Amino acid sequence: MASSTTITQQKKPERSLSPWQIARRKFVRNKLAMISSFFIVLVTLMSLSAPFIAPVLSPLPDISKVNISAMNIEPNGEHLLGTDKSGRDVLTRLFYGGRISLLVGFSATLIVITLGTVVGALAGFFGGFIDSILMRFTDFVLNFPFLVFVIVLNTILYGIVDGLWVLIMVIGALSWGGVARLVRSKVLAEKENEYILAALSIGCSPFKVITKHLLPNVISTIIVQGTLIFATMIVIESALSYLGFGVPQATPSWGNMLSSANEPDVLQGKPWIWMPPAIIITLTILSINFIGEGLKDALNPKSLR
Amino acid sequence: MLKYSIRRLLGMIPMLILISIVVFSLAKLMPGDSLSGEIDPLNTNPEYIAEMREKLGYNDPLPIQYFNWITGFIQGDFGKSTRFKIPVFDLIMEKVPNTLLLGVTALIITYIMAFIMGMYSGRRPYTLGDNAIAGFNYVMLAIPSFVAAVFAIYIFAFQLNWFPFAGSVDILTEQGSFEYYVSRMHHVLLPAIVLGAMSTASYTQFLRNDIIENSRKDFVRTARAKGTPMKKIYNVHILRNSIIPLVTFLGFDFAALIGGAIITETIFTYPGIGQLFLESVTSRDYPTLMALTMLLSFLTLFGNLLADILYGVVDPRIRLD
Repeated sequence: MASSTTITQQKKPERSLSPWQIARRKFVRNKLAMISSFFIVLVTLMSLSAPFIAPVLSPLPDISKVNISAMNIEPNGEHLLGTDKSGRDVLTRLFYGGRISLLVGFSATLIVITLGTVVGALAGFFGGFIDSILMRFTDFVLNFPFLVFVIVLNTILYGIVDGLWVLIMVIGALSWGGVARLVRSKVLAEKENEYILAALSIGCSPFKVITKHLLPNVISTIIVQGTLIFATMIVIESALSYLGFGVPQATPSWGNMLSSANEPDVLQGKPWIWMPPAIIITLTILSINFIGEGLKDALNPKSLR
Repeated sequence: MLKYSIRRLLGMIPMLILISIVVFSLAKLMPGDSLSGEIDPLNTNPEYIAEMREKLGYNDPLPIQYFNWITGFIQGDFGKSTRFKIPVFDLIMEKVPNTLLLGVTALIITYIMAFIMGMYSGRRPYTLGDNAIAGFNYVMLAIPSFVAAVFAIYIFAFQLNWFPFAGSVDILTEQGSFEYYVSRMHHVLLPAIVLGAMSTASYTQFLRNDIIENSRKDFVRTARAKGTPMKKIYNVHILRNSIIPLVTFLGFDFAALIGGAIITETIFTYPGIGQLFLESVTSRDYPTLMALTMLLSFLTLFGNLLADILYGVVDPRIRLD
């Protein structure tokens, strides 16, 4: 797409916009999506810089230590969001938790998108026997009760591999079905176009046709889907951690922090322990969804805005 | 239609066999086995344990063990729970009514909320009320169910004291009495609202868009030309047409409710299938775990099948064969 822009540039003195530029302009004009992007960038930066800003913000920057002297302190000037039942600073843990939650969400999304795109593109492009085999497999994955199998698989693999990566691999390996179906249907529609026939007739290999000609035309759908999946993955991570089947308890993640609300005493009397993770999970999910909607609008050539 | 349904039902069999193999392998891969549940726990003589191990078939080759398990399973013998020392079948049957009550109540709540909001939005699109409902739905769609549940318990059970925060019934009430049923409804209401509110958003937006689309059709113009009151047009003529596609959501809801029930039941410590499942994982109660995984898989498959069939029933344009 970039090459087409350079050609038009040479012909016309006034440069016309590339599809990506149009999309960017539409996205920037979408206020809700911009505010959400700002929020996500902020959360990411906070999580990434956790080891550096934690000592500045809190007198107890070490999240792995239990402090008997500082248990269940209500929010005050020293501990901005208070401390939890092991005497760990809630704000510091929130920052460190963001690292884990965002890492799990992002890595799982990457796995889901890669697997889904490869399977969907192969099935859609080759059709016939390959298509039916791959789609049968996809149906199989889609028909599994997701949560049930994630919990069982996680319990088996727990201890064999580092807990965090078990979770990422398991939720990644079990949720690519939807993406595969979507990409396949898009590829099926796209491959009927004449430029694909042209590319094949001049002897392009299937690999080249898929990567150079088909995928660039499907990528906008994949990007939008990827954004929404990112939100779903964060929800799944925190839900599993909340239930005690996700990230190991010792590692702070937003879901793990929220799981302290399982104790009626904490839930009822110490809202400062569970409310910050609950609020930040919700805001993050909302923001990612808004960004996804904004991208969908921006990348849709038919939408006027 | 009947032919299609039968073909799809038969198509579920290889899927179920495949799932049963996966479930069996997973259970075998998990550390430990269910031997301790089948034998006398007080007899620690190694010879006795070895003998029972041989007798109960734990030393058989895996394919034979699988065959024995699946044969028993089909005949309704799910094995014995290692934790509760009672047949898994009875254990599950004990919890099914609770989950069923929760699921049905949640569905009813979804329908009531979706109808009120969807009809309002569809009749007055692009107004303040419509936008408010759309915004509310968007937030409900984005909030993870367990976060919503935690907030619901905090606000409605602890702060306002409207609902109990755990259990399925007040233990002080006598079983079968009127108070008993009132107490059960009281306990199920809050989890059901949380579970039901999750799927309300998609129903509402669908109903709204369908009503708007239908209100531009010729039959509405004819009805208006004849002088039919607007209220009647919306509540009778349009609604009848818009309700039908909603039926297809039911099948998908089925599968969503299963996943939702696991989380919601655990948070509300509501003794149902979902909670039993998580407990069986934690306590390594393999017979229960395997039976429940099979059951939940079957229900998910069945829900998807239901969705496909209902789709064909309500929309004759879709050809199923």
